[in-house]
Amino acid sequence: MTTKANFPVTAGSIVVPYGHVIGNEKWRGSELAQRLQGKVRLIFEDALGLVDFHLSNRTCILLISEADLVAGDEFKRRLVRFRNASSLRGIVIVEKTQISDQYYLGVQKLVVLELGMVLLPMANQGEASQLIIQLVREQSRDRGAGPFLGKRRAQPAEAAVLQAVQRIPGVGKTKALLLLQRFGSIHRLCNAAIHELEQAVGQTVAQQIYTFLHS
Amino acid sequence: SAWNSRVPGEHGPSPWLCILADSREMCSGPEVLSCLRAVHGLRVQVCSLGTSDYIVSNRLAVDRMLQSELQSPGNRNRVSQRLQRLQGIFERICRTQYYDGVLSALVQAGVRILFSSCQEETAALLKDLALLEHRKDAAIQVPTEPEGHQRDVLNFYLSIPNLSYGAALNLCHSFGSITAVANSSVPALAAGARLSPPQAEELHRFLRHDFDLELLPQPLPAKRKS
Repeated sequence: MTTKANFPVTAGSIVVPYGHVIGNEKWRGSELAQRLQGKVRLIFEDALGLVDFHLSNRTCILLISEADLVAGDEFKRRLVRFRNASSLRGIVIVEKTQISDQYYLGVQKLVVLELGMVLLPMANQGEASQLIIQLVREQSRDRGAGPFLGKRRAQPAEAAVLQAVQRIPGVGKTKALLLLQRFGSIHRLCNAAIHELEQAVGQTVAQQIYTFLHS
Repeated sequence: SAWNSRVPGEHGPSPWLCILADSREMCSGPEVLSCLRAVHGLRVQVCSLGTSDYIVSNRLAVDRMLQSELQSPGNRNRVSQRLQRLQGIFERICRTQYYDGVLSALVQAGVRILFSSCQEETAALLKDLALLEHRKDAAIQVPTEPEGHQRDVLNFYLSIPNLSYGAALNLCHSFGSITAVANSSVPALAAGARLSPPQAEELHRFLRHDFDLELLPQPLPAKRKS
């Protein structure tokens, strides 16, 4: 591959063609790679450094195997180096097995709470491959089109304003509507003089409203 | 584990830390609440949060979800609604393609996901989150149990769209009256309620919104029962 020399050696951003995954050479021939083949277009590179897979120009995967967890702290140094060196969004996939389970809470604390990265536990390379395939599909959606993104529509504030005014003790829906039609906004209702309130809702309730809004 | 010892106040009570818990959690997560109090020594205020299961700081809400809630595609809309503004904690994990889809969608949406295998672990995670937020100066530091008139004022603030329970408490505490809030500038609202500038802007706009009866959604006529 002729463009290889242009790729940064560690943790940097690289160009990932649409629908492709760029994998670290060390995964060539692995079970994980075999399961990805055919589902995504997988290209291997040998200069990815800390990163295992690039899913897009912004997102990459770092895998921590059961063996890494058992071996000691080296994987922590790797994650911290990545976090310090890279502006990419790193998704950490950790192999959570019966053996490595005891380390999970500690890893979660480091990765999610201390480093602010995403951590997803997977039982084996097969599960990891399924997740990577889904992540690639999710990546290729338009930004903002995910099922959990941007569904809130702006609604007219009228109903909410009416609700708020009805939270004033002594004010039901009828009086709330009277007040809003007369004063227009909560801000102007707050700044109304007591005699103006009296003209709208009578002396007793006016006093109640005035006290509520001013103390 | 090796990291625990690096966090100050990790062991023993942390009475300055406060977590708000939704009243539903008294039934669905009693172990979480009792662990937070008894094991971690946190102040847990149970209140009607409605929008989330926990609030651990001025800016961080937590939803606790069971694997069963994520297993069925039929739940997707409910999950989607619950998670639109929230961070998530899942207890236990299962494996389906649907589940992979939910996970990747949550990751894409920027929702932080924490996994735990029991309510005790969930409590420990909530404590860690509260501690972290405390270190970042975002902890809830106002009284969480207003009484009398202050309770009514809190209810008024809670009716404001997109204003969190924590922000409503901060408004109660930082401003002398609703009128003082209504007359405040955007920066003053941001500082007093611990809101981001866009959130403060939205609150400011709401308080000055000019009510138009024509825009009020009309209830459907002729459907009276009772």
